[in-house]
Amino acid sequence: MTSRARTAVILCTCSGIIAERIDWEKVQKLLAGHPTRPVFRVDQLACGADNLEQLETWLKEEKPERVVVAACSPRDHEATFRRLLIGAGINPYFLQMVNVREQVAWVTADPVQATAKSARLLSAALDRVQRQEPLVARKVPLRTEVAIIGAGPAGMQAALTLARAGRKVTLIEKEPFIGGLPVRYEELFPNLECGPCLLEPVMGELLHGHESEYVDLLTLAEVTAVKGTFGNWTLTVKQRPRFINPDLCIGCMACAAVCPEHRPHAWNAAGELAAVDAPFAGALPNFPHIDPAVCLKLKGEECNACLVECPVEGSLAFDDNARQITIEVGAIIVATGALEKQDVPAAFAGLADVHTGYSFERLLAMNGPTSGEILKADGTPPQSVAIVHCAGSLDTNEISYCSGTCCRAALKYAHITAAKVAGVELTRLVREQVVPGLDADSQLHHDHSAVSRYSGLGALSVDGVGAERRIVCQDNGQAIAAEMIVLMRPVVPGAGTSKIAEVLELDTNAGGFLAQLHSLSASCASNMKGIYLAGTSRGPGDIREAFSSGTAAAGLALSELVDGRDLVVDPQVAVVDVMRCSGCGTCLQVCPYKAISWNARDRIADVADILCRGCGTCVAACPSGAITGQGFSRAMLRAEIGGVLS
Amino acid sequence: MSCQSYSTTHPTNPTNNVDAIAGVAVKVVAFLCNWCSYAGADKAGANQLPVPAELTAIRVMCSGRVEPTMILECFQKGADGVLVLACHPGDCHYKEGNLRAYCRAELLERLVPQLGVDPRRFRFDYVSAAEADRFSQITNEFVDQVRALAVRPFKN
Repeated sequence: MTSRARTAVILCTCSGIIAERIDWEKVQKLLAGHPTRPVFRVDQLACGADNLEQLETWLKEEKPERVVVAACSPRDHEATFRRLLIGAGINPYFLQMVNVREQVAWVTADPVQATAKSARLLSAALDRVQRQEPLVARKVPLRTEVAIIGAGPAGMQAALTLARAGRKVTLIEKEPFIGGLPVRYEELFPNLECGPCLLEPVMGELLHGHESEYVDLLTLAEVTAVKGTFGNWTLTVKQRPRFINPDLCIGCMACAAVCPEHRPHAWNAAGELAAVDAPFAGALPNFPHIDPAVCLKLKGEECNACLVECPVEGSLAFDDNARQITIEVGAIIVATGALEKQDVPAAFAGLADVHTGYSFERLLAMNGPTSGEILKADGTPPQSVAIVHCAGSLDTNEISYCSGTCCRAALKYAHITAAKVAGVELTRLVREQVVPGLDADSQLHHDHSAVSRYSGLGALSVDGVGAERRIVCQDNGQAIAAEMIVLMRPVVPGAGTSKIAEVLELDTNAGGFLAQLHSLSASCASNMKGIYLAGTSRGPGDIREAFSSGTAAAGLALSELVDGRDLVVDPQVAVVDVMRCSGCGTCLQVCPYKAISWNARDRIADVADILCRGCGTCVAACPSGAITGQGFSRAMLRAEIGGVLS
Repeated sequence: MSCQSYSTTHPTNPTNNVDAIAGVAVKVVAFLCNWCSYAGADKAGANQLPVPAELTAIRVMCSGRVEPTMILECFQKGADGVLVLACHPGDCHYKEGNLRAYCRAELLERLVPQLGVDPRRFRFDYVSAAEADRFSQITNEFVDQVRALAVRPFKN
């Protein structure tokens, strides 16, 4: 141990502000007998450019092994003085700052006390700095490619933003088609803008635009395993076969027209889809997809209906196989989206003409099951429509939060229904109404539906059938005409979101959405460095948020992974002493960043310095004292304790 | 490496006389986390709010870094009071280090009386980066409380 390392002490007057309360002459006298025999230099303004030059010269002459700077808060100028040490050829972690401006001069009225306190703090710093170790920031080469999981608006926007910057992107989508949910919506709130018109140019650019050469799109693909850390991730992707050769297929859908087999039409939440088909006109990429569980030929039966009809030989690829693909990237953007809660509450279960938001959207869409007409199951238009807001939201028995988007969707449904069904009796049952946004108020102002307030789903029951059907509300005794019912169900994490949380070991919040590093200031970062979040994987949101968070997540990836710039790992991290680690695993439990992993071979804990943020929680928790918090080691802090109490 | 192998309590060290010169009767150590309470202390300085001269701060990155034995060591080395100030629950820069610190504080509050230390000499609290007033108020309150207590019986 170098307990008597030669130490230089810079005493800053901060242009006289510090010197008003602290007598540096007196402090020097009080510390003259300190065992480290420090050399002092009083400086008028140590952070000034000229002063720093002079200080560098002085340090080069004095050749100290340690430096203490008594000046302002380290939160202000620690980095400045670390650079000073580097310039003087001294390891920057041999610096200790004493905050005599904010925490002594400015808060201690009596100069005698301020001077004494400064001497005590300096004495502690002199003791501490002896224990400090030279640290070197490790440099790690980074990959700049990015994997984006989910090709809804958020994922597509992130992909395009990165591609425009010349970044290689792999866009991984579990469905056979891209665009997420809103591409299936005819009109979007608040301005009834056409959904496909908004998204098709984006999808077109992604698939065929100038930047498409940077984008590798994998449909029918899911990430099954991830290894690595920030800057160097290896993803294993399983891609299911489409049974279509995308290089040959022209997307004419002649195959779909002749296919004898059908499956339930999940995209429309109604009707059927041929075994070889695309779910709706305009679905991209413009190829059909064969469901191997339904296709006769793939089940080994005799059928060549589509092959006979297909105008381009080889387009139908019945020998297509599942693939396992390995992708190496520097960052991952998760944009796996959200869904409307699928189950129908008990009071409405099994009833005819009960829709959720999603199935009603498809009813409104020109490419949906009724070609955009609002029709009941019997093919006739309803005489009355009741839209139930908060159907399961803000409800401690079901989903406690407000999804924040359903009211605007409900107002849109009311508006479109009134326009499409002449003379329809429209009622909105509301608990709360949430209509945020600069242009959403017009939705409320243009709404002419009757509004009835109810307290919760428990207060509602359904009575009668057909045109006589009513929703009876216990709260006010009203019977609301409800030949067709639209339930605004809560927004919950998509299946892909829960799955990816498991694969990537991401934390989730109470709602099951992916936890954000900070809900206000870092909402597009996960708590895992190098994994960013976009869209509704983070929580319910609208399309505007999907686009903006996609751009934001891409921005994070761009700023943290720069071509030719290595990752500089802050050396003030936790380090495990392999000889002392007992393998109890306590540290694995307390690390908030999953920076500590279990080394099964040696039965000890391993800290990934790239992921460690240097909080020191594990250092304090280790029962064996086997972890050192570099820069804030036990020896340093104990020396400081001894110093301030001397 | 013993904590006492090297310290400024060396008999020739003149800083031993500092407190006598300044008339400081008690010594209080405050562990402050870099992101909230230390920033709050800086803000108290920027606002020129009074902070007792008896209080000396030790900066850690997170309150979760503070080992319970460090607090005991403070008492062993003659501290009359020890403060640990953390980010408010939910605001921790490291997500939950403050909650670990809180759990440890709960234990310490029960432990220190066993060692002959009045539990009023130890306090765990929360101060945000914006709470300059609160930092000044808590530190003055605590140091006043410590001053009012009798001299520690086993203080070395």
